[in-house]
Amino acid sequence: MIKRLQSWEGLLAAVLVVIFAFNALMTPEFLGIGNQINLFQLSIEKIIVALVMTLIIINAEIDLSVGSMMGLSACAFGYLFQNGIAPPVAIAVCLGIGVLGGAVNGWFITRVGLPSLVVTLATLIGFRGLARVMVEDRGIGDFPDWFDALGQKGLLGPIPFALIAFVLLFAVIYVVLERSGFGRKTYVIGSNRDVAEFAGIDTARHKMILFIASGAVSAFAGLLYAARVGAVRGDVALGFELDVITIVLLGGVSIFGGKGTLVGTLLSVLIVLNLRNGMALLNITGHIQTGVIGLLLIASVVVPRIRLTRAKAPKEASA
Amino acid sequence: MMMKHVLGAAAALMLGGASFAYAEALKLEGGKSTDMVLLPKFLGILVFDQANEGAQEAHAELANPGKLEFTGPTPENSVAGQIEIMTTAATQKLGAVMLSNNAGDQIAPAAEAAQAAGTKVVTWDSPVPSGAGESVFVAQVDFGSIGVVMADMAHSILGGKGQMAVLSATPDAANQNAWIEAMKVALAADAKYADIELVDVVYGDDQAEVSYNRALALVDKYPDLGLIMSPTTVGIQASAKAMQDEGLCDKVKVSGLGLPSEMVSYTMNGCAPEFALWDFRDLGYLTYFTAYGLATGQLKGEVGESFTAGRMGDFTIEEDPSRAGSKRILMGPFTVYTKDNVEAAAK
Repeated sequence: MIKRLQSWEGLLAAVLVVIFAFNALMTPEFLGIGNQINLFQLSIEKIIVALVMTLIIINAEIDLSVGSMMGLSACAFGYLFQNGIAPPVAIAVCLGIGVLGGAVNGWFITRVGLPSLVVTLATLIGFRGLARVMVEDRGIGDFPDWFDALGQKGLLGPIPFALIAFVLLFAVIYVVLERSGFGRKTYVIGSNRDVAEFAGIDTARHKMILFIASGAVSAFAGLLYAARVGAVRGDVALGFELDVITIVLLGGVSIFGGKGTLVGTLLSVLIVLNLRNGMALLNITGHIQTGVIGLLLIASVVVPRIRLTRAKAPKEASA
Repeated sequence: MMMKHVLGAAAALMLGGASFAYAEALKLEGGKSTDMVLLPKFLGILVFDQANEGAQEAHAELANPGKLEFTGPTPENSVAGQIEIMTTAATQKLGAVMLSNNAGDQIAPAAEAAQAAGTKVVTWDSPVPSGAGESVFVAQVDFGSIGVVMADMAHSILGGKGQMAVLSATPDAANQNAWIEAMKVALAADAKYADIELVDVVYGDDQAEVSYNRALALVDKYPDLGLIMSPTTVGIQASAKAMQDEGLCDKVKVSGLGLPSEMVSYTMNGCAPEFALWDFRDLGYLTYFTAYGLATGQLKGEVGESFTAGRMGDFTIEEDPSRAGSKRILMGPFTVYTKDNVEAAAK
């Protein structure tokens, strides 16, 4: 039990309980079903992408292009819809764009051998450029009612489609990461790619699959965004990649790869969303919200260091 | 979908109600409690702080025992932040949200949800393009009149004769392009402007340094230039500073749309003798009266309704000519600032 609490996940869970209790005490609206659903809905696209980002970072890579891919997918949907393409076809095309964009990232990273930081920084700019070219400075809206309803209304009772998608995706990725060979390889490659290569793992293929998944899920999240807000513009999801990466790192996933769990990411998601929602209900302004989340991230980087040096100290003394 | 039917029915009722005109302006009864939020595009912009001052003034004047919060997103999170605050306002069951919209139609579902929860949405400065989810838009000025105001300032500064150039924001800034076009129309429409020549339109990207350099380039390119007209608060200040730094103020004047607090020194030393803008304090004040009236049920939000907004006088809800099916309250007109009134406004 004590060991559990000492783990990073244990610490996150304790922080979450404190925030949750604080919110419930401070604002009577917090515990309402509507608010609890809104709390997820307002950031649902980011937290869906955070699930895949967890795999990418454990694999010792990064995908900075996810926000731009969300924007590209949403804008492509608006563009196709405006040009008379049937929405189901447009949705399929957008998901295809996600797969293709992910494959482009993967190809440059695995075949050309460029660092993912550089490649996805380039596609962050490139995908956003394409999105802006397609819709220019206009807003495109008036999507079909069923499409808007998918983003805005409950599907299972009050629970919207996007939240169900998040839960399903969490379950799938959890099983893959914790219970499959693919998951074990993700950790091994992330810890040491050379060792993985010597062990006969096709690391290039593995990374290619991850980046395609990241592109496809980002495109899917972009469509969810379009449905939720009922209109798209060139700046859709601008800067979302930083929020996504913040959540994953706060969840205890090591930026150097090889370490981290999906449960950590989930706890981090819940902490960030509850914190933001609680501050919003207390009418705390955006600057302070950003500051608090920033402090939290700094703490998440510093605290493990302190614990590490503390844990080391007695050993060194005895030696 | 249900929502749209409900709104449709409400719109039909409103049209029915509009057939009889309200003879007298309603005097709003103070002292009723309603919590409201003033939601700017983002925080850290002077004009939005001024709008808040105006709203706070009205809040005190109407003796609303409820709370008036001034809260907004950070600039890089503007769209998502505005949607979040709108959604939260509905959860909190606030009386009204006063929104300077930066999210385009993306705010519409959140605004409609707020309306469904009984929270009125009054826009100011920048409306919801489709009008969906919006009770009424408090418009600062009639954007069509801006062309005439700029043409008149040019006429007055140049003494009716001379060359002028425009230094705008970006080539695809919709507001500025419409205003420049309106000025061209105004210049062509009246013979008194016949001797004013518009020689060029350049763009400073709404960045101080770029605008500063473009202004100096204009002076080099057109030796007979008498006036730089800049319909953006960044451009006008940078141009005035450029002319002042280079000692050109006797020869080339600056005018356009500017903030009194930023322009006061240039107006007093003659570099920018006249410029125009609307008063954001007044805009916040009028917006508060409108939102208070709607939130307390004293106003229905129907076309033709008139009410008294304290020190600013009477206003009427009307059809918005630029957005079919939407409603607006026109604050207007422009305030033209000169040596005589700029110091008071800059405080």
